[in-house]
Amino acid sequence: MPQVRIIAKNFMDMVASLPAIKLDRLYENAFICEAILRSLPPLAKKYVLQLLYIDAPVTASSLQEWVLVDGASKHRVAVDRLIQLRVFTETVDRKKEASYKLNSMFQMNLRKHIVHGGVLPREPMAANITVRLPSLEELDSYASQQWECFLLHLINSAEVEVTTKSISPSMMKVFQRGLLSQRDNEGPRLTESGFQFLLMDTNAQLWYIVREYISNSEDRGVDSADLISFLLELSFHVTGEAYNMNTLSDIQRTTVKDLADLGLIKLQQGRKDSWFIPTKLATNLSISLSDASSRKQGYVVVETNFRLYAYSTSKLHCEILRLFARVEYQLPNLIVGSITKENLYKAFSNGITADQASIILFLQQNAHPRVAERVPSVPENVTDQVRLWESDLNRVEMTPAHFFDDFPSRDVFEAACDFAREYSSLLWEDSKKMRLIVKTEIYAHMKDFLSHQK
Amino acid sequence: MTPVSSKQYADDVSLLMVLIDTNPLFWSSTTTPFSFSKFLSQVLSFLNSILLLNQLNQVVVIATGFNSCDYIYDSSLGHANQRAEALLQKLEEFVIKDEELNKEDSVDGIGSSLLSGSLSMALCYIQRVFRSGSLHPQPRILCLHGSQDGPGQYVAIMNSIFSAQRSMVPIDSCVIGSQHSAFLQQASYITGGVYLKPQQLDGMFQYLTTVFATDLHSRSFLQLPKPVGVDFRASCFCHKNTIDMGYICSVCLSIFCKHHKKCSTCG
Amino acid sequence: MTDAQVVKRAKYKSSVKDPGVRGILKMTRERFVFMPNDPTLPVRLNVEFRLIKGHKSSKEGSNRPALLNLTQDQGNYIFEFENFSDRELCRDFVAKAITSSGEVGGPTSEKAVPLKDEQLSSAEMERRIKLLQEDSELQKLHKQFVIGGVLSETEFWATRKKLLDVNASRKAKQRVGLKSDMIFNVKPSSDGQSNRVTFNLTPEMIHQIFAEKPAVRQAYLNFVPNKMTEKDFWTKYWRAQYLHSTKNIVAAAAEAAEDEELAVFLKQDAILASETRQKIRKVDPTLDMEADEGDDYTHIPGHGLAIETTKDEMEAQYEPYKRSFLQDINRHAAVVLEGRTVDVETGDTRSVAEALASSKRIELAKEASDGNVHQERLDRITRMAEIEDLQAPRDPPVAPLCIKDPRDYFDSQQVQLGGTRQVKSRLSTSEAYGSLRVYISEIRNIGLSDPIVKPEVAIKVFNVLTQNISSSKYQLGKNPHESILDTLPSVTKEELLLHWTSIQELLKHFWSSYPITTSYLYAKVSRLKDAMSQIYPKLQEIKESVQSDSRHQVSLLVQPMLQALDAAFAHYDLDQQKRSAKSGEKPNGYV
Repeated sequence: MPQVRIIAKNFMDMVASLPAIKLDRLYENAFICEAILRSLPPLAKKYVLQLLYIDAPVTASSLQEWVLVDGASKHRVAVDRLIQLRVFTETVDRKKEASYKLNSMFQMNLRKHIVHGGVLPREPMAANITVRLPSLEELDSYASQQWECFLLHLINSAEVEVTTKSISPSMMKVFQRGLLSQRDNEGPRLTESGFQFLLMDTNAQLWYIVREYISNSEDRGVDSADLISFLLELSFHVTGEAYNMNTLSDIQRTTVKDLADLGLIKLQQGRKDSWFIPTKLATNLSISLSDASSRKQGYVVVETNFRLYAYSTSKLHCEILRLFARVEYQLPNLIVGSITKENLYKAFSNGITADQASIILFLQQNAHPRVAERVPSVPENVTDQVRLWESDLNRVEMTPAHFFDDFPSRDVFEAACDFAREYSSLLWEDSKKMRLIVKTEIYAHMKDFLSHQK
Repeated sequence: MTPVSSKQYADDVSLLMVLIDTNPLFWSSTTTPFSFSKFLSQVLSFLNSILLLNQLNQVVVIATGFNSCDYIYDSSLGHANQRAEALLQKLEEFVIKDEELNKEDSVDGIGSSLLSGSLSMALCYIQRVFRSGSLHPQPRILCLHGSQDGPGQYVAIMNSIFSAQRSMVPIDSCVIGSQHSAFLQQASYITGGVYLKPQQLDGMFQYLTTVFATDLHSRSFLQLPKPVGVDFRASCFCHKNTIDMGYICSVCLSIFCKHHKKCSTCG
Repeated sequence: MTDAQVVKRAKYKSSVKDPGVRGILKMTRERFVFMPNDPTLPVRLNVEFRLIKGHKSSKEGSNRPALLNLTQDQGNYIFEFENFSDRELCRDFVAKAITSSGEVGGPTSEKAVPLKDEQLSSAEMERRIKLLQEDSELQKLHKQFVIGGVLSETEFWATRKKLLDVNASRKAKQRVGLKSDMIFNVKPSSDGQSNRVTFNLTPEMIHQIFAEKPAVRQAYLNFVPNKMTEKDFWTKYWRAQYLHSTKNIVAAAAEAAEDEELAVFLKQDAILASETRQKIRKVDPTLDMEADEGDDYTHIPGHGLAIETTKDEMEAQYEPYKRSFLQDINRHAAVVLEGRTVDVETGDTRSVAEALASSKRIELAKEASDGNVHQERLDRITRMAEIEDLQAPRDPPVAPLCIKDPRDYFDSQQVQLGGTRQVKSRLSTSEAYGSLRVYISEIRNIGLSDPIVKPEVAIKVFNVLTQNISSSKYQLGKNPHESILDTLPSVTKEELLLHWTSIQELLKHFWSSYPITTSYLYAKVSRLKDAMSQIYPKLQEIKESVQSDSRHQVSLLVQPMLQALDAAFAHYDLDQQKRSAKSGEKPNGYV
């Protein structure tokens, strides 16, 4: 099973990992330049700003000069980041003295921005058009509802009846890749990475999806750089304002439709034109800073008797809990369940682990504010029991191995045993019948050794 | 898996109060090395760049006039796209109002603008921000000052300086006039801000971005220009002269240039 | 000077062996006078301290006489005092008188200067020499200026009086107090065979008795020598004491009835009682004595001292003869704490009694004159026991800070600025405002200038700033403990430091001589000025001699010195001008 690590890296890390040519192309877009500048560490921002109107390369030492002893590491991090993002181009002269120069495209765009001020990507709907726009609260709840719905769909596509709009099955497949594992005759099940995905905060989840979306874009015939620039552009729109769809290109229009399914955008059909309204999810895209309000509030209370109360109306939460606990009652705003051995075994068999970054962590991170203050937020006997149940399953350890017998002489057998011991790969030996078992790793060496012995 | 993965970058959010000297006599005097429009364009670009650095950064501009002071721009209120336009509009209105308040038709020399007033306004604004929300931006004040010190404002300015010191607000000063400003030297010295008198005024933007754009968080890692000396002289209360040596009332600490039998302040 | 004069009994001796003539030695600031007790004797002295060159004194010891030897050019005066404390007092007085007469005499003539050096007491001289030895820097300065003739010895030391005083004050002048032994602890010695009891009475004891028992003192003054001899008096006293010590109150009462003089000693001391009443009246009326009860053994009758219970059933007629041990202790403690209030030598019993009595009288008179004591007491009671609601608010005894016009203090911006404005150019404000508006509309129309800064300018500014930073960092960063001085060669450094201290010394003298009131000061100032102007070129020389790289730093160091000197010169010149202007009217110079 290929291991897909879920990394909650932000957008900029992804941008930084793009190939040089693509990066350079990205900088043609002023919004990307702006977004990138904002994502930089404070010192790096300052360096960019102070070199903005300097055309000639500036020596590294002259930048270093300003740094106090305490700030040396910060300085290094800042400069490394700038070079990594190709904002700085480093040249080393004959005296081995490095000097930096701003990426000219980047520089030009920022200069423009500074002179003309922040220009919006496109004009919002004029005030004279009287269309009732959703309030910010409505928009927020719409976005979270949409996002939750998508997640539910993602985890449990088989069970959930298809909601209002659906993402194309192929897209869904893309998103599900790595998060779900399909076994032969059963329905898809959530893998460990899938579970981890559910544990992440909304922004990080969004990033995972968007990243998948972008990396998959080539298959759909969309240039990833275009897509990135559009997404970043989107983040500079004003939340809650309506923008005309006509200003978008065809590709962007299809993208907007996809994003609307995710809850990033709300589409609104006017009389003549159709509009799109970016939600908070969209405008937060480029924000490196995690917004406090995007942090999910905990809702789970675990008692020492393995009872579990989840104050939530969300179907998603219920589904998540169902993965490792038995849901007993479902009240309008409360889910009551209990953690049982059977349910946990089911979870373990799906590859979800008890410990770090899994069930226990989930319970801790989503602890209800009332219990979150306590230490530990989840009773110790519960956490211990969950761990014990997990180790129950792992009582038999499997080691791939090879079995040797029929040795020509005792000497050869002894030598072979010693050889295996040297590699600390001897798993079992039977000196009477001259049989032994070694780990697979040294099978080849063993064969060589034995052939030499003969 | 870090739930708050990028908290570390949040330290550089800053609230920048910019005090612009709009003393008409200073800007129209022949000694002033560059025009107000050039100055404004550099300052506006600087403001744009501050707002560019972090979406949570906030800039408030206060005009320090000859007869009055007023807020002329607050980035938390307007949209980004009409920034410069809105500021200039307000500035023009301010100048007209300031002129109406003017009583004398002609004045000797350059005169001084109401630095004490605008400093107090800046501090008031900062206090309001402090008290309004849980979010504590890191405020600082930047004085772009050209006209000479008004010794008459000595007490008021010193009071502002000390209250800034108490609320840990550094006062940066960028002196664009021909002389050093003792007031601002003291202000920056006491509050831990940067005092700088640029030599090359057409490169003002560079000074601003290199020195004054540094957020408070980064200041602990960077070496910023230090003044060679600070003029600590005070002004006397009786004639508002700047004096080296004087008499101090032992009760109310008023400063006088001549000996008086009775303190004119507290009697 | 603490006392204007000192009067002591002393013997004048022409030599140490001489038995001496008894008399009174009176010292004033200028002179000392000796008057023999016997007016017929020819030894009568009246000597000015100016002529006295020094003084010597004998070592303090129990058996040795307390001698003071005042030396003159020819011969000397030896006085023997009755005790060492008197001698000490006189010696200190003489030392002060000698130095002050030297100082007063100093400025009158230039010649007086070397003279009065010799007039210094040897102790003073020693102190100075010791100081110079201890402080090499001081020695250097002393050598430079005093021996170089810029300053006189006195001038040099005048500014360092503190140093000398500190040393001088180490010798504490403490009066010998009273012994804390109680008199009746002196057990009578009896020869064992006869019934005679002998008391040995010393002047010290008499003094103590008088101090502790005003009634005895009063009786002494009344009876001796008219009614009885001194011996009889004391015999009676001790008899009373003896009776008292036998604790046989009935017997005491019987004897007192027979002898009224004896009764005086046996009865309660009336003067003491009135004094005690006075004291109680002075006690803070609000003091809660009951609160202290139970704190310690005060609640036990007799304060824990064993008292025969039989005495409690004493008849009232014996009451006046009852005297508690406790009263004695308290009285004694009070007297000891009060200390020796009168400075009368204890030899003459009568004078002691008189002096004590008079001092008491003075005290009482003082108290009476303090105003109506009773009224004051009443006032105090009302004040302490005041009922706040009924009392009119009393003003606190502090002067409140009243700021006449708060605007003076807080917003002084509107005050007349006319004086400070430069009269450079008269600008029309309307024009100025107009041009400002033009600038604003200009930028509104055109927009921001693009590029905002030329790249050449930008890099220039950046480089200048960076250079500035790195240079200040270089200075700061090298070694924070290392000052510029340490980077200089040691010769230069020492030279600089020496100049610095000498300039300080000279300036101190220079400024302290203003305002110039005497010709002596005038001469001194010009001397100082010459000395300072000699240092000036030396400083310049140092500045030029150092290598170019550190020249800037050295000039930074030298600058304040030069400025200080310049200020002094400027003041000197200004003063000179004023003087010459004045001298037109008053050609004879300075007052």
